[in-house]
Amino acid sequence: MIRSLSVVAEGPGRYISWGVVQISVANLTIIVAMIVLFVLALVVPFPSGHGEEADQERHQK
Amino acid sequence: MTTSTDAKSAAETTDPKNWTNRLRGRIEGLVPPGQALPDRQPVYVASWIYVFGVLTLSSLAVVILSGSVLAIGGVQWWHVSSLGHFVNSVHLWSVELFFGFMVIHLWGKFWMAAWRGKRAMTWITGVLLFGISIGTSFTGFLSQTNFSAQWIAGEGKDGINSTGAGAFFNVLNPGQMLTWHVVLLPLVVVLIVLIHIIQVRRHGVVPPLDAHLEG
Ligand code: HEM
Repeated sequence: MIRSLSVVAEGPGRYISWGVVQISVANLTIIVAMIVLFVLALVVPFPSGHGEEADQERHQK
Repeated sequence: MTTSTDAKSAAETTDPKNWTNRLRGRIEGLVPPGQALPDRQPVYVASWIYVFGVLTLSSLAVVILSGSVLAIGGVQWWHVSSLGHFVNSVHLWSVELFFGFMVIHLWGKFWMAAWRGKRAMTWITGVLLFGISIGTSFTGFLSQTNFSAQWIAGEGKDGINSTGAGAFFNVLNPGQMLTWHVVLLPLVVVLIVLIHIIQVRRHGVVPPLDAHLEG
């Protein structure tokens, strides 16, 4: 039990080396996930009944 | 004390020498009428990128709530109790989300140059929040009461002491670091968040960069 739990904090971690750039897989994963989330926030349509179209519909009524 | 015989109620006096009046005027003038909690926004705000400020704010609320529970249990609680460990993990992961959301928020505001139109103070308070939040989490890592905290303090002390800050900010003093972490820095963060959000409500959401092209 202790062994399986302590796996999380054990070991030096995996690193990716690319010339002078050295980064842990964990940090790289988080950065990539943040960039993906940022791009998604820009491209995924925002569900809204309050937009221009909804306003126009309301005026037409 | 003055007594008034006319119909004006006490709350309506505008005597500029009265501190209460001046303070009321200040508070009322912070944001334009009706703009403190508006329920409608310009159409360009209908994008997920505008949600990240509020996501940052919400994770900060979870950080403060879980941190308050940890404060009741004490710094060593999470070493000996599974509930303490759980609350500690809630605290850590809400901090991770807080920083992730804050940085995506920052990227969004950077690429839309959201400091345009007298919004410089919004950006500047944001920059302060970014810096002070890092300092707050640093003192949090120093408060773990484990070898990680000890190692971070040992690695950090020379750099910080060489700036002279060690006189009142001694990373080798866990009691001092804990009070910075749970009292002083959170107070500063919450205060600046208030100013940041008042600034946003004061000026309204910045129009997109290409708004003038569309007329
Ligand atoms: C504790 C961290 C922070 C919190 C709780 C926070 C919260 C918010 C909220 C709720 C808004 C309005 C909604 C939105 O547009 O997303 C906002 C707007 C803004 N934030 Fe932050 N923010 C934080 C950090 C930052 C940082 C680090 C920066 C940049 C360095 C920044 C720059 C801005 C700017 C420029 C606006 C105004 C946008 C406009 O006027 O349209 N904020 N913030």
